[in-house]
Amino acid sequence: MGGATAALDYDAELMLRVKEGDGESFAQLLEKHRSPVVHFLYRMVQQQAVAEELAQEVFLRVYRSRGTYEPTAKFTTWLFRIATHLALNALRDGRNERSQERLDERSEDKPVLQVEDRRPSVEQTMVRQARLDEVRRAVAELPGKQRAAVLMHKYREMEYTQIAKVLNCSESAVKSLLFRAYETLRARLAHMA
Amino acid sequence: MKCPLEAREDREILVAYGSRALGGSDAELLEAHVESCAACREFVREQRAVWEALDGWEAPAVTADFDRRLFARIEGEISWWQRLWGRMGLRLVYGALPVTAVACLVLAGVLLDWPSPRRAPAPPVTTAHVESLQPDQVVHALDEMEVLDQFNRMMKPDGSTPRM
Repeated sequence: MGGATAALDYDAELMLRVKEGDGESFAQLLEKHRSPVVHFLYRMVQQQAVAEELAQEVFLRVYRSRGTYEPTAKFTTWLFRIATHLALNALRDGRNERSQERLDERSEDKPVLQVEDRRPSVEQTMVRQARLDEVRRAVAELPGKQRAAVLMHKYREMEYTQIAKVLNCSESAVKSLLFRAYETLRARLAHMA
Repeated sequence: MKCPLEAREDREILVAYGSRALGGSDAELLEAHVESCAACREFVREQRAVWEALDGWEAPAVTADFDRRLFARIEGEISWWQRLWGRMGLRLVYGALPVTAVACLVLAGVLLDWPSPRRAPAPPVTTAHVESLQPDQVVHALDEMEVLDQFNRMMKPDGSTPRM
């Protein structure tokens, strides 16, 4: 917890410096949060180009909001609230539809592209790719909010309270979202064990 | 024996346990129960399978020019006058102040000296005066007319009414 508080203070402090016109602090925030934001968005929309485009928009909004920024919440809560909002909008607009098409194509193409000399390696790669595609499909079929909750819970290790703040709902609603999401994922992926 | 964790709220604890998000005494208690309960053991096994499957999903690295593109967009958002302001700074202010002051004085002089257009005389306001008559006034007027009529008949014995 102490580390989290220190991180909160440091990120918020950096953002307050950005507010005062310090571009170097913005660069530090970008360096620290670039990958987590892009990776979260990538798993949300499942297309790298769209994820990076959305991540650019996230950081652009952070920069634009510097003048009115007040450290009322944890910086990452604010950051992921912007990211989730943009991702859910993109999903609603169908901007990731092409990603699903690409995913479908990849399932067929990948074994051909990944052919190597050693046969066991080819098989391993094929199995691994098939499992990965199955995971991606299962996540892609989750409703937007459930998907966001699972990704923040699993990959960002966020606590229920923070996920609730990001999604602007109650903690019990987050527990319910996660329960339903994992229920769906168990039905789809439990055989992988 | 009936499982005490059949309720959904309790299953949420099992999700946390299966996701290895539960620690301390809670985890120990659950571990003991899971070992003896087949349904919970299966639930936890499936949850751990999901957790491990998600572990295998790595996101690709961010492209190298991400920052460059972002800063280009930020730069593009800064308007031309902000950029000009940034370059010229206070020099522009100090240089422009005397010029602005002189321009203001000249403008004020011109405005004061400018002949104001004559105002066209306002057209006379014509209003219709409508007098309201009370009933007793009307009766009185009719009476007077009758008196006049009688007076006229007296003056003209042929009985013809005078033309109004």
